[in-house]
Amino acid sequence: MSALTLYQLVALILLMAGLFGITQRKTLVGMLISVELMLNGAGLSIVAASQLTPANAMMGQLGTLFVMGLAAAEATLVLAMIVVIAKRFGTTKTSVVSTLKG
Amino acid sequence: MEYMAKIAFGFYTLIILAGSILAVGAKSLVRSMVGLIATLLGVAGMYMLLNAQFMALMQILIYVGAICVLIFFAIMLTRADDGGEEAQSASVRQNLLALLAVLSVGGILGWLVLTRPLATTGVPVEVTIEKLGLGLLGTYGLAFELISVVLLVSMAGAVLLTWERRNGK
Repeated sequence: MSALTLYQLVALILLMAGLFGITQRKTLVGMLISVELMLNGAGLSIVAASQLTPANAMMGQLGTLFVMGLAAAEATLVLAMIVVIAKRFGTTKTSVVSTLKG
Repeated sequence: MEYMAKIAFGFYTLIILAGSILAVGAKSLVRSMVGLIATLLGVAGMYMLLNAQFMALMQILIYVGAICVLIFFAIMLTRADDGGEEAQSASVRQNLLALLAVLSVGGILGWLVLTRPLATTGVPVEVTIEKLGLGLLGTYGLAFELISVVLLVSMAGAVLLTWERRNGK
């Protein structure tokens, strides 16, 4: 088994943990934490694939840097949305936060 | 040296595994965030092993330094920890369904990774920070500018969303 496969399996573990968390968590903050786990797995996979293959290594590292930037932007926006939701509903439980009937 | 790298890889894998289990399974959201931080540091170690030192530093700076602080603010501002909203665990059926979803996705991807190995170079390529900087300002300049705009817009959006007008003052 090559080193790249091992790194990608670790990234897969991160993805699976994040996926499990996002289906299990009952609050929006917990879901945000799971999303960050998944994004990290993606970043690790990109860097490993670009560093250990003949592909363009600079592009891989910069791509992961952009993923990190997007994650920061996403976290900022989600934080603001969570604060607004908490103000309006008094909780961030996903089972309570719903206005559609049915 | 090869031997040390293997030990370090195993160590970081253990940190990532334990951290992600804590992040997903902890009852308290603050503990869950501590698990996330451990995982992020483990991934930073992986970047070090991959000879991408700049990425490791950025991982610690952006994720641990910025995003985790933001998540901590989210926990504290919404008092999500109050009364243990994550305390009551999910039903067995829900657990099983979640596990099924995870295993189906993980199984397919794992099978693909294991059965289709790529041609790899043994030693990670070295990319100096100089090259990365030149790339950011040269070839990938447009992406760099776009990400700044995205960040600016999201920050402005966050301020706008949480803005409270002072009535009558």
